[in-house]
Formats: sequence, C-alpha cells, structure tokens
Amino acid sequence: MMGREAALALLDKALGYSKAQETDIYLSAQDLGLSRFAGGAIHQNVAHSNITLNVRSVSGKRLGRATTNDLSDSGVQKAVEAALQNALLMPEDPAFTGLPQPSEAPVVDNLDEATANCSPETRASIVRGVCLQGQEHDLNVSGACRTGVQEIAVVSSHGARAYHAGTFAGLIINTMSGNSAGWAKGGSWRLSDMDTEALGREAVSKAVDGQEPVPIESGRYPVVLDTYAVDDILEALSLYGMGAQAVQEGRSWMNDLIGDQVMSPSVTIWDDGSASDGWPVPFDAEGIPRRRVDIITKGVVNTPVHNSYTAGKEGTVSTGHQAYFTGGPIASNLFMQEGDSTLQELIGSTERGIYITRFFYTRLAHSKGCVMTGMTRDGTFMIENGQITYPVKDLRFTQSYVEALAGVEHVGSETKLVLNEVGFATRVPALKLSSFNFTGVTV
Amino acid sequence: MDEFLSRALDLAAVKGASYCDVRLVETNQERFVVRTGVVDTISNDESLGIGVRVLVDGSWGFASTNIISPAEVDRVTGLAVEIARASAQTSNGPVSLGPAVTSRGVYTTPVRIDPFSVSPEEKMGLLLEADQRMSSVKGISARTGNLIFSRERKTFANSEGAHVEQTIYEAGGGIMATARGSGEVQRRSYPQSMRQQGCAGWEFVDAMDLAGNAERTATEAVALLTADQCPSGVTTLIVGASQLGLQIHESCGHAIELDRVLGSEAAYAGTSFLTTDKLNNFQYGSEHVNITADSVRLPGLGSYGWDDEGVPAQSTPVVEAGRFVGYLTSRETAYGLGLPPNGSMRAASWNRIPLIRMNNVSLEPGNWTLEDLIADTDDGILMEMNRSWSIDDRRFNFQFGTETGYEIKNGKLGKLLKNCTYTGITPEFWNSCDAVCNESQWTMWGIPNCGKGQPGQLGHTGHGAAPARFRNIQVGVMK
Repeated sequence: MMGREAALALLDKALGYSKAQETDIYLSAQDLGLSRFAGGAIHQNVAHSNITLNVRSVSGKRLGRATTNDLSDSGVQKAVEAALQNALLMPEDPAFTGLPQPSEAPVVDNLDEATANCSPETRASIVRGVCLQGQEHDLNVSGACRTGVQEIAVVSSHGARAYHAGTFAGLIINTMSGNSAGWAKGGSWRLSDMDTEALGREAVSKAVDGQEPVPIESGRYPVVLDTYAVDDILEALSLYGMGAQAVQEGRSWMNDLIGDQVMSPSVTIWDDGSASDGWPVPFDAEGIPRRRVDIITKGVVNTPVHNSYTAGKEGTVSTGHQAYFTGGPIASNLFMQEGDSTLQELIGSTERGIYITRFFYTRLAHSKGCVMTGMTRDGTFMIENGQITYPVKDLRFTQSYVEALAGVEHVGSETKLVLNEVGFATRVPALKLSSFNFTGVTV
Repeated sequence: MDEFLSRALDLAAVKGASYCDVRLVETNQERFVVRTGVVDTISNDESLGIGVRVLVDGSWGFASTNIISPAEVDRVTGLAVEIARASAQTSNGPVSLGPAVTSRGVYTTPVRIDPFSVSPEEKMGLLLEADQRMSSVKGISARTGNLIFSRERKTFANSEGAHVEQTIYEAGGGIMATARGSGEVQRRSYPQSMRQQGCAGWEFVDAMDLAGNAERTATEAVALLTADQCPSGVTTLIVGASQLGLQIHESCGHAIELDRVLGSEAAYAGTSFLTTDKLNNFQYGSEHVNITADSVRLPGLGSYGWDDEGVPAQSTPVVEAGRFVGYLTSRETAYGLGLPPNGSMRAASWNRIPLIRMNNVSLEPGNWTLEDLIADTDDGILMEMNRSWSIDDRRFNFQFGTETGYEIKNGKLGKLLKNCTYTGITPEFWNSCDAVCNESQWTMWGIPNCGKGQPGQLGHTGHGAAPARFRNIQVGVMK
C-alpha cells in the first residue's frame, strides 16, 4: 500500500513534467490476495501489487491519454509526454469543455488494517472452514476468498488533490452434489463483517435442498428473486443505460423513458458512492465527488449519471461517475429501496412460481427495455401455495429487465451488499415479480 | 532483465520450492476510438511487471509486482512461497507436473508491417474516414470505430531449465453503426462485433478496408429498423462464419478446457459436460464436424511459440468426424489424465497465473460454397454477426442473437430479418450440422475479451470458421 503522502507525491512529480495547457493524473493502485478453492482444496493462490498512472493532457479542445505502471522518473515522464503528443494529434472536439474544476469530496473511512494485511494463512483458514461445512453433506465445495486494498488519487493542473484508500473482502462459495448446486456470496470493506460460517450454511442448504431437480415447462411464471438475482438486474440496467453516454448515443434503455413511470411504484434506485453501507469510493477517476443520483424514484425514470464530458454536452455538472479511466460514466454504487416483506412472506405470497437464487451469464439481447437472456443457477425451486415444494432444473430466460421491475409486487425488508470483483457494488433486497419469461430449459 | 528471473528461481529453490517459474512481461498498447465524429481516445498504455509461481509442499503460490528491482523480486518470491505453504494447509495432495519442460528459444509474431511503425495520424485518419462515410447514411444515431495495436515482450524461465523469449504482436479494428427510428434500435458492425483482431501487423487492419465497408454497414443498420421480426419456430439455420466463430468458442472451446472439466472453475465460469469418460467415447457432432485447437495458425489470436508453462505451440484434434478426441490441457491436468500437455496455459499479464485458455479453436472447412448451400436449402434462415451470447455453466444450453438474418425460401435469400436469435443444446446442435462451407469462405476470427478466472483475466482467442448449416433449430425466441 502506498499511502496518501507517497501517492500524492508521485502524482505531483508527474504533474510537474507536464507542459500541457491542462493535465490531470489518476492513480489507481491495488494490493490483492486471493485464494481459490475447488474440490475442497486451494488450487490457486495469488497476490499482486500494481500501481498505474493514467494521464490526460489537454491542448485547446483536444484531450490525449497515456497510461503506465513504470514509476521511474523516465517512465512517468514518458507517459506525461505521450498524453500531450496524443492530444496534439487529435482534431478539436467542440463539445469538450476542458478538464473539470476541483471540488471537495467527502472523507469516507473504509480502510480496515486487518483486511489490508490479511495473510494467506487467514484466507486458508476461512476456506478450510467452509470446505468442512460442505464435506459434512458430501458436497463438492469451490469458490474464492479475496482481501486487499484499493487506492485512488487524482491531481490536476486546476488544483485537484484527492486521495482515498479502501479495503475489500469477498467470499464466494459454490456447493455441488451430483445434480444440485448452492451459492453464497459475501462482501464488505471489513473482513470481520463477513459471517463466513453463515455464508457456508447458505450455500450448503441450497445444494442439499436442490437435489434431484425436476424439469418444468418454459413459459411465464411469477418469481421470487433472491438478492443475487436482483443484483444482476441492477448491474445490467447500469451497464446498458444508466450512463449519460449511452443515453446521448441513443442506445440506453432510458431513451424516450425519462420522466415516465415505467416500473412499479415500489421501485426506487439510486447511486451513492459515499454511502457507508455500500462499498464507498468518494470520488471518481476525474477527482469529482460521487454525488448521490436518484435514478429511479417510485418507478419513474429520473436521470442517468454523468462524467464531465457528458455533463458538458448538456450544460450540467458531472455527478462524479467516471468510474474508470476510459469509457463513459457508470453507476457503480447502486442501492434499491427495501420494502416490508420478509423472504418467507415473498414466497408465501406466491401461489405458483419459481424461487431463483441467482442468474448466470446474462447478456443484453435488445437495448430497448433492456431485454436480457441468461440462465438460473445454483438453487432454483418451485413455489406452490406459498411454499417451496421441489427443486427444478435450471431455466433460460429472455426478459426485459425494465418490464420485470414494472411487475414488482413485493419488496424484501432486508438488503444485502453484493460486491463484485471490479469494484461494482449494489445493496439490494429480494423481490417478488408478477411475471418472468422463461424461454428454455437445460438438460 | 534475465538477472531478475535467475534471482527469483534461485531464491525460490533456497526457500524450499520444488518448482518455480517466472515471467517478465512488458506490454505496449495503442488505442484509437472515434465516436460519432469525435476522436474519443488516442492512448498509449504501457505495463511492465514480473510474476513468480512456485510449488512448495506440493501446492501452488503466486505473487507479482510492477516494481522490477532485486529487493522487490525477493519480496514477491518470498511471498509466493508463503502463499504456497498456506495452500498446502488445504490441499488434496501434491501437484504433479509430469515430465520436465526445458524449452529454449525465441519467437516473434511474423508481421509484414510493424503496427507501431505506422503513424498515429494514418490510424486516426482511417477511423475518421470510416466515420464520415457512416455519417452519410440518414437514420444513424451513433457511430463508433476503434483500432488497437499491442506488442507483448515476454520472457519465461523455469527451474527445470526452460528459457523462452517471445514478442507477440496483435492488431485489430472495427466499426459499428447504430440506427434509431420506427420505435426500434438496431446496429451493424464490421468486420465483426466490437472488432476483428489477430496476431499480425498493420497489414491485417489495412486489409479490412474499414472505410470501404462503412457506408454499407450503416445502410444495413438503417434497413434493420423496418425489417421483419425473426419468426419463431424450428427451422433450418445457416450460421455465418463470424457468428459460428463465437458458437465454437462458447460451446466447444470452453467445454474442452480440462480445468473446467475437473472442477477448477466451478464456482465462477462453471464446469463442462465433456467429462473425462467422454474422451474418445462421445459423438459431439455430426460427421461433418472436425474441430482443431492449435497455437500455430496465424493470424489467430491464440498463436504463439510456447505457452506460459514453456510448452511448445502445437495442434491438437478436438473433434474428428464428430467424435470428441481432445482437451485443452495444462501440465498438471494432462499428467493427471496420462496425456502430454498441449501448450494451452496462458496468463493475461504478468500479474495473473496461467490458466488453460483456448488458443485457435477452429471448425475445419467442408466442401460447400455458401451459394450452393443456400441453393440447397428450401426453407430456413441465414444468421450472421453476433449481438448477444449466453450459455449455461456446463456449456449445454445456449442462446445467441445476431445482428442480421435473411429468410431463405426455395434456395434463395429473401427478406431481411431483425432481432434474430437461435437456441439449443450443444451436442444436439452440432449433431444437426449437415454441411460446412469450404476454405474460400473460412476466416480466422479473433475474440479479445474471453473472461475466465479469479481474479479475472481476459483471454485472446482465435476461431476459424466458414458458414455451416444446421437442421431443426429453434429460432426466434425474441418474438
């Protein structure tokens, strides 16, 4: 881990090399430890450290970029010069309004020393524990346990100076018998927040209860979605349309829907990079504070998130959602408003439907309505007369996620933080949907 | 730089490693992106680092760093050993790698024109010209074009005496037009979705003629807005070459990765229906289906001199006349099955361990021309160019969407169809193949975004394919 002083000193040095009209430099550093296990044993066990400098240089209305992880004086200088050279090559972009002016980001504390310094032995101990839980039920247990620290920092010729370090911990558990599977996923910025034994129990119970699944006919069914499946819906809605670039290019599901009631009034979704019950990252790759953005309010589509470029095109200000060095703005700290139903009540409200643990390999089939296709996986069960009655074989769906959320009947009262590998986090409840379109069954 | 590799190998041995390999990797990449008339990105990206992999007490450990110094090499070597000792606490027995690998040599991707010797102005100009030509078509709401060039210099050494140096070049590019109107959004890409990419030089991109295909691509996107919906039902399907490349990737390439078969990827990407009892004992496809995995067929993106375990590049039959006969393997997994390793272990970068990855997994050409194949089809659909893809965790149930489709009636191409999809179960699908087009319509497609592993790795794979015909396929699930 670099620490604030070293990170900012490196960036200041890099900025000193710049001869450009405007320059900003984004530092991204990660120390990661990850232990993968399968068949009840650790088979891959890795650590890496990397520090990357991402330089943007401006000449007039032209912006060039360069990236390096060579932190020697010559390496840094080369990257800074390359960014300017690239800018000079470009034609002017009339929509480019310059690099953003600095603004103060809130201070967020999500740095846990124990998580940052977690040893491979500690991870192995966690893995051993969950493997034993599965082995007690003759289940094949696999997954991954990861810990580490992510640092980001931004300086700019406009005076921006921002630094943040946050830790992360994650545990994925997949349990399998000959014909069933279970799943659990935990994540937090503090390793000690993860109840690894409870996650193990969750994964084990799905595989035990899911044995001897029965094939059912495809078609439309009411569904109860566990939090992992709801996470998939929010991630897809984000990737395929909650960013202003997608809206401006006409390829977002939001196009023509802003201001309209398109989802159930019980659906409220927002993005908040500073919220401590998510995985906070208080500013973006441009150094702009990640503002809370109310994206869907009581089913009404409000607004996409912006970076400085997309905001400039619309005469507004960035919401601080340039999550990565390149590409458009992304809502990556999403929240869905909880309701008042327990998971048992969601199931109890279903006369005949399907309970789904999670979705797998979901891909955009059509941008209008965010139509997705994918599979159910790791615990799919029939609900009859308000009770789970038997496991079913995994199903393929082809379903508009926007339409799916129009059919939200009940919202779970508990939310879960689902943290993925690349820093995308959602805090979501379980949902009961009136209809979901299953278009196939696997063997 | 060799002193750093030797230092890590020596220190690992001192610390008790029974095996060690070290990779020093330097990557240079140039990227150009144009979005609707604006140059969005010109970027130079450089990455340098070293990764040390060890076996200690029969278990694996790996550590890596971007700081190339004696002290840092010592630190990561020690860390790799510490990690391996932790792995040994939760082990199913010692890893065996089989016969020693002692490869030595130098390999460089053959290129006619070094892509880094071509001026940025020329590269950018190519994209801007393509963009301008797409802009001439009414109804286009967004246009993108991208070029990418990379050079990876990699030195690998292991404690068994292997030492290989490789320089791998890649070049790629593509354009896409998005049309909006009539309550629809449609897109067309060229040469394939995202971009076409190969282990090659500038000549590979130059031959694409992006500008020459720009207006047609945009025109087709607009035409799709008012095209008929793909019908629902069971019909004869001719899958175009680029879409078939992805079909091979998803339903064959991943299914033959022996680590998946043995459960190493179960929690993430999944497993495979091609269990070891099926090797040489399973009719994967029809007699027309011959699939080969190789790392020598340029410009395939899976072309190299040695894999990241130092095993030489080679060619492996996977499916012969429909019968399943081969896996992609690592040293460890091959030894477990009593097979020689076939050089399929690759790491995305210095900070990732090698995994079993597809190299160039290709459907061998058949005897048909596309014209004859269409003429021989009474009723069906021709689908081409991927738009969406999804497959289950055992690689059985798949569903693909394509950018375009054409009705086939009485041996002739008919009207344009939009929102085309087809779905099936992998062995049923490949067993329904009754014709494959010939060499003249066979193209090596590149896929530069194959995700696998934790932490995630993007693999670069090649897939040679020509159009092929499949009977009794479910189409039109979007309707």
